[in-house]
Amino acid sequence: MGAAGQPGAELEHDMSDAMATSLQTCPRCGEEVPDGANFCEACGTQLGEVTEQQAQTGLKVEGSESSPISRPTHLLTDTGEPATRRPCAECGGTVGEDLYCEQCGTKAPSEREHFRETPASWVAGVCDRGAKRTRNEDAIATVASEAPGERCVLVVLDGVSSSVDSDVASLAGARAARDVLRVPTGHGLGTPESREAAVRKALTDAAAAAQGAIVAHTASDTESPASATFTCVLVEAEPEGPVLWHANIGDSRAYWVPDTGPAVQLTRDDSAAEALIAAGMDAEEAHRSSQAHAITRWLGRDTEDVVPTIGRLPLIEDGWALVCSDGLWNYAPTPAEMADQVHAAGRAHPDDVEQVALALVQWAVQAGGHDNISVAIARMGARPVGETGSQTADPADPEE
Amino acid sequence: MAEFSATVYQNEYLPDGGTDVNAIVTITCVGAGVAGQTGAGDAGEIIIIDTSGSMGDLEMEQAKQAAQAALAEIVDGTYFAVVSGNGAAFLAYPHVRTGPGMVRMSPQTRAEASRAIAQLTSGGGTAIGTWLDLTGQLFYSVPQVIQRHAILLTDGENNEAPEVLDAAIGRAMGVYQVDCRGVGTSWKVEEIRRIATNLLGTVDIIPQPHQMSDQFRDIMRTSMARGVAEAELRVWTPQGAHILFVRQVSPTVEELTSRRRPINDLTGGYPTGAWADESRDYHVSVRLAAKALGQEQLAARVQLVIHEQVHAQGLVKAKWSADHSLTAPIDEQVAHYTGQTELAAMIQEGLAAKSAGDDATATQKLGRAVQLAEQTGNDEATAKLRKVVDVEDAETGTVRLKRSVERADEMALDTASTKTTRIRR
Repeated sequence: MGAAGQPGAELEHDMSDAMATSLQTCPRCGEEVPDGANFCEACGTQLGEVTEQQAQTGLKVEGSESSPISRPTHLLTDTGEPATRRPCAECGGTVGEDLYCEQCGTKAPSEREHFRETPASWVAGVCDRGAKRTRNEDAIATVASEAPGERCVLVVLDGVSSSVDSDVASLAGARAARDVLRVPTGHGLGTPESREAAVRKALTDAAAAAQGAIVAHTASDTESPASATFTCVLVEAEPEGPVLWHANIGDSRAYWVPDTGPAVQLTRDDSAAEALIAAGMDAEEAHRSSQAHAITRWLGRDTEDVVPTIGRLPLIEDGWALVCSDGLWNYAPTPAEMADQVHAAGRAHPDDVEQVALALVQWAVQAGGHDNISVAIARMGARPVGETGSQTADPADPEE
Repeated sequence: MAEFSATVYQNEYLPDGGTDVNAIVTITCVGAGVAGQTGAGDAGEIIIIDTSGSMGDLEMEQAKQAAQAALAEIVDGTYFAVVSGNGAAFLAYPHVRTGPGMVRMSPQTRAEASRAIAQLTSGGGTAIGTWLDLTGQLFYSVPQVIQRHAILLTDGENNEAPEVLDAAIGRAMGVYQVDCRGVGTSWKVEEIRRIATNLLGTVDIIPQPHQMSDQFRDIMRTSMARGVAEAELRVWTPQGAHILFVRQVSPTVEELTSRRRPINDLTGGYPTGAWADESRDYHVSVRLAAKALGQEQLAARVQLVIHEQVHAQGLVKAKWSADHSLTAPIDEQVAHYTGQTELAAMIQEGLAAKSAGDDATATQKLGRAVQLAEQTGNDEATAKLRKVVDVEDAETGTVRLKRSVERADEMALDTASTKTTRIRR
C-alpha cells in the first residue's frame, strides 16, 4: 500500500486483530460471516467495532481552535443517541423485527443498503442502494465539529460493481480515510505554505488509508479485485475564513453551491470523457461516447496510482458543500442543474440537513435510481431568508 | 411442551404489474403431549349416540360396542359424558340432575358409563340440534375443561328445519369440536358435513355397523393425542392488501376465509382447534397493489398463536421482477393444492348434479374430478370415483356415469372429497 502514514499503519494493525477471530458469526442471526466483514450478508446487521449507532450518527470531534500537530484522539466523543430502527421509508410505519414494515409490508433496507450519518446539525450524509442495483457498493463517511462551519470531513467512495466485495471494501475505505482526517490538520509553522503542505499531506494520507483498507479487504488471488472511486471534502476554519479542500480519484464529485451566484464543480472526473475532452473533443460529444463513464483512475489492488487530485477554495459566501457519487450527478450533470436540486432540497427542509441530503437521494431514486446514490453535504452559514421565511411567511421571523 | 414450526412454499416473484401472491404455509407441531395432561387445563370428551327409532337392533348393539370402545381410549382423569339422542337429547351418563354434567374418567366411572350405555334403547325421531345444545351445556357445566371434543354418531336424516340445526351449530362453534360419523346410508352427507366443518371436525361414513368400534377407537385415540387445546392461525397483510382466501388444504380442504376474527386493522385470526403431533397445510392468497420492478415487500405474516403467544411464523413475500424465468413458474405446492381444492369441489358439485338428475353436468364435473385426481396423484379419490363412474380416459377426464351405483360408494366419495394428498418434498 505504499505511502501509508501513521494512521494507515494503525488501521492495518486493527484489521489483523479483527482477522485473528477466524470464525465470526453474526450476533443477530447467527449466520457465518467472512472475516473483517462490516455487515452480515444474511440480515444486514452491522458488525465489528463500528456500532450501528456510530454509523447512524457519525462521530463528533471537539473544537479545533488550538490544533496541535498531533491531536489526541480521546477528544472524540460519541453522540450517545439511542440506536433505533428508522421508520419505514414508504409509509412512516414501524419496521418489525423481521425487517418488514408492520404497516405496509415494505422491506426495510439493510443498514448497508441505506445508511445515514449526521455528525452535527450542519453536516449529513445519506448512502443508498438506489432502485435498480442489488447491492449498495457506495460508501460515505463523515465527521464534523459541533460548531457549525468550523470543521468537517465528507468522504464518498463509489465501489465498482464488477468487482468482488466492493461494498465491503468501499465502506472500509471511506471510514479509513475519514479516520485519517478526523484529527484536525497540523498547521506546521502557521504560514499559508506550511498549512497547505500539511493539508495536502493529510488528504494524500487519507487516500492512501482508503487504498490500504480496500486492499486489506480484497483477496490477493481474485480476478476482479475490489475497486472504488475516492472523493473527499475537508472544510477548515482558517484565520481568513473557512476554506474548502477537495481531493479525488475517479468520478465522484465535489461541488460548491453558494446561496447566490453560480455553483461550481470542484473536482474533475478521472473519466474517459474528460480524457477525450482533454484531447480536444467537444464536451457534449465526449459525454455521449460509449465509454464516457469509464473511469481512468481508481483505488484498488490493481492500481498503484493513488495520489488524489487536490484543490482549495476559500469560502467567502454562505452555501452548501456537496460530495456525491455519479448515482446523483448523472441526473444533474451540470453545476447549474445540481444547484437547482440542492436549493430545492434546502428550501423543502429548512431545519434539517439530513433531510436535505435524503431529499437529494430520493430525487435521484425518483429519476430512475439506476446506480447507488451517495450524498454528503455541509451547510456553511445560516440559511438564507428565503428558505425559512418565504414559504412559512412568518412575520415574526427575526431573520433579515 | 409443544413446538410449532412454519414453512412457506411459494414463488415470490411477480411479473411487472402482478398483484396476486399465493403461498402454502405448512405448520408442524411436535411434542403436543396428551390431551388434558399438559398442565394447561383439563380435557373433556362427550360421546353422542343416535338412539332414534331408525336404529335397528344390530345397529344399536354395534353403536353401544363402539361407544364402549371409545370409553376405553379416554385417558383416566379426563372429564367425560355420554349423550343419547333422538327427538330430544338425554344425559345417559353421569347420572346427575344438577351441577356438573361430566365426571373424571376412572376405572369405576368407565365401568358405570359402560353399563349405562348397555341399557340404551332406541325409539323416536332425530333432532340433532338438541343433541348439540345439550353437549354444549355439559361442557359449560365444567369450566375447568378447556379442551372440548365430542363424537357424534347418527344413522338418519335430521328431522329439524335446517335453520334450527344451523342455529344450534352456531351456538356450538368455538365451544367444542365434533367428529361426525354416519352409519348406513339413510343420513345426508351435506347435513352432517355442515356440522363437522363448522365444529372443526371430520365426517365419514361407516357403511357397515361392525366397523363402528374401530372407527370410534381411532377417533378417540386421535383426540386424546391432541395435547394443544386450541390454536389460532393469524394472518397479517399490509395496508391496502386484500385477502383473496385463507384455506386449510391438508389433511382436508376447509375454507377459513369467512371465519376471520379481526385482531386489528391488518390482522385476522382463524380457528384451527386442537393439535396433536401433526402437520397441516394452509393456502393463503393475497392481492397487493403492484410495486415497481425490483421492489420487495411482505405480502403476509402467517403465525400460529396460542394464548396471544406466537409459536411459529412464516413470511410470504412478493418481489417484482422483469425476468420471465423467475415469475412464470407456479410453485409446485400451490399448483398441487389448487388442483386438490378444485377436485373436492368437482366431486361435491358432480354428486349434487347427479342426485338432482342433471346427468350432463354430473358427467362433466366428475370427469374433471377424475382428471384432477389423476394429475395430483390422489389415488384414494381415483379409487372412489371409479366406483361411481366408468373412466374412458383419465387424462382427458372422459367418463360415463355408472348405471347402478351403491349408495354407500357415492356417500364415501362425497365424505372423502375434502381429503387431500401431499406431494413428496
